[in-house]
Amino acid sequence: MRLLERGARRTLTAIDAAANRLYGWALNPIHQTGTVAVAMLLVLIVTGLYLLLYYRLGSPSASVARIAADPWLGGWVRSLHRYASDVFVIAAALHMLRMFAQARSWGPRTLAWVSGLVLFGSGLVCAWTGFVMAWDSFGERLAREGGRLLDVVPIFSEPLSRIFAGDGPVPSAFFFVNLFIHIALPLAMGAVLWLHVSRLARPTLLPPKPVTWGITVALTAAAVVWPAALGDPANPFRLAAETPTDLVVAWWLPLSERVTPGTAWGVGLALSLAALGVPWWARRPRRERWAPSVVDSRLCTGCNQCPQDCPWEAITMVARDDDRPTLVARVDPGRCVSCGICAGSCAPMGVGPPGRTGRDQLVALREQVLPRLAEADRTPVVAVCCAQAPASHVAALRARGAHVHAVSCVGNLHSAVIERFLKAGAPGVIVCGCPPRDCASREGPKWLHERTFNEREAELQPRVDRQRVRLATLAAGDLRGSVAAFDAFARDLALLERPVRESDEDLDAVCEPVPLGEVAS
Amino acid sequence: MRAPASPARWLLAGTATAGALLLITRASAVPLPLNAGDSARLRLSWSARPERIEVCRTVSAEELEHLEEHMRQRVECDGRFATYSLRVEADGRRIEETVVRGAGLRHDRPIFLLRDFELPPGSHRVRVTFTRRERTDDDAAAFAPVVSATGDTGIYAGRAEREGVEHARRARAAIPARLVLDTLLTFAPHRVTIVTFHPERRALELLGEPGTR
Repeated sequence: MRLLERGARRTLTAIDAAANRLYGWALNPIHQTGTVAVAMLLVLIVTGLYLLLYYRLGSPSASVARIAADPWLGGWVRSLHRYASDVFVIAAALHMLRMFAQARSWGPRTLAWVSGLVLFGSGLVCAWTGFVMAWDSFGERLAREGGRLLDVVPIFSEPLSRIFAGDGPVPSAFFFVNLFIHIALPLAMGAVLWLHVSRLARPTLLPPKPVTWGITVALTAAAVVWPAALGDPANPFRLAAETPTDLVVAWWLPLSERVTPGTAWGVGLALSLAALGVPWWARRPRRERWAPSVVDSRLCTGCNQCPQDCPWEAITMVARDDDRPTLVARVDPGRCVSCGICAGSCAPMGVGPPGRTGRDQLVALREQVLPRLAEADRTPVVAVCCAQAPASHVAALRARGAHVHAVSCVGNLHSAVIERFLKAGAPGVIVCGCPPRDCASREGPKWLHERTFNEREAELQPRVDRQRVRLATLAAGDLRGSVAAFDAFARDLALLERPVRESDEDLDAVCEPVPLGEVAS
Repeated sequence: MRAPASPARWLLAGTATAGALLLITRASAVPLPLNAGDSARLRLSWSARPERIEVCRTVSAEELEHLEEHMRQRVECDGRFATYSLRVEADGRRIEETVVRGAGLRHDRPIFLLRDFELPPGSHRVRVTFTRRERTDDDAAAFAPVVSATGDTGIYAGRAEREGVEHARRARAAIPARLVLDTLLTFAPHRVTIVTFHPERRALELLGEPGTR
């Protein structure tokens, strides 16, 4: 499974890199495939409502042919409907690949993974019924294959395949049921989508407007220039030599047609179970897992910041069991993914994953990092890099003389660490995160920016010179951009006076265990 | 952020987007082979009730006395559903020989038949026989209707006659014991000729694309 994960990660990085080079990381649609899928669902609903007005159950193929022949609206709306379904499937598949590659498919994310698979499967079934609605040669082919597969399942009183045999007209009831499924499934998908994001605080449902409109306009242009194919009307007395097949949504068809229905069901079920089992296959052994955050109730002031910042709604404020008049944070380990963002949000450093609280970060700094920096004649620029950052970019920063300090996520970084580096004589600190839409912790870069420049708790203290702090994004495929950002920062720092090292006595005080009672007062 | 800024970058991004769109539109309509070659097809498709082969007896007045009035069925039948032998020949060569039963675990549901046979285009002598496998000496006499029953009065008046009518209706609805279609057919490439059972004419008949036969 790890091998698969590594392979998926390599594939994804290559795709990301190519898209970053083309569009820049802010507009990279591959970083927001989940939201692109939702946007396509909306396009499908809007165009589908229009098509529904002109679709006739009594003459499906003729009505669709009439829609397709309308050069003003119907033709391109139908094509847009088709292409949006293709992009939905591609985006959903890439979204799954990303979640799998980034090990975001298990633990508290199990519900999202399973519901995501249900959404993906529902999308495929919905597309299937949509093609059958058109009742052209491809729709007939799909219907026949569906009948062949369903006839081995003993749930229908009469074999479905006989509906399409040709000894009688295909009953309107069939097209009605097909249409019903085609409409009801997206409604059900809305409910599953709610479940899909139910564990997220502030779920992002749509891509940035330029991406949403960019994709929609591009697909519309494609629909106008290259209208979607429509096969000959279905005819039980004619054998189509070939059908215009949509291999994006019906990729399984050529495989399924080659085997017996039993084998097709067996393989399909095995693959579905394997995919549904990913949260169990892919999860790390307990010893390798990052533990969920914990709260030191002695330090918690009840400020309510960590529940606001937690992207997973894993933290709630509850009544204390001592006599202090405030609430205390409580972490639900079943929801916590150990992203560590709460550690960066806590001014008194009382919450965070074990070993990664603000206090732990300062201890590590004092014991492992600062002594090494002190040995240098001139303290180098510090680059705080997300552990997910591309290795080549980190190596490039190191080659340019930066001292690289890794963190699990830039949202986990406590602002006191930045200040401490500067006090230790570093001319500047550049914090390098992932592209915001590709943050495995969802909101790391966003909260880091707010804490650094907009006084969000736990803010970087006003006494820190902001000219010496910069935030940057390391995006796969954009090494030049990463290096340019660092060089620009180094150039700006060169214009400033060399900082002097300050004493770190107060650091010792912060890092010492907190005696009970002192904090409470 | 390094958004596409220079004209060259915009051009590259635009070209890549157009390429991706072209790929999607092409993948959306791949001409996938379905029926290779020029062959035609003979399709057998029908659904019909299998015949019920049963032995019936008239229930005696003494036996009826022991039953509640609404359960006094004059004739009791016991039996099973017939099975059929399907044989298809093209130009004297057997291309299918199989046993056909009613659907369902007890084979008491209608027969749903759907068989496709590939044939080269051209003229072929096609013979389809569908024959009941079980032998009965006298099908019609198996059921002995009771013409009248003096005990049936009030709301039960005419019950015995109704039993007989219903039984006869079911017997008529069943597929005949033997069906044969023997004909010379011309098959055009990529065309389907359907052999089906016409329930009112109670015979096998041919269906083809309107205007082509």
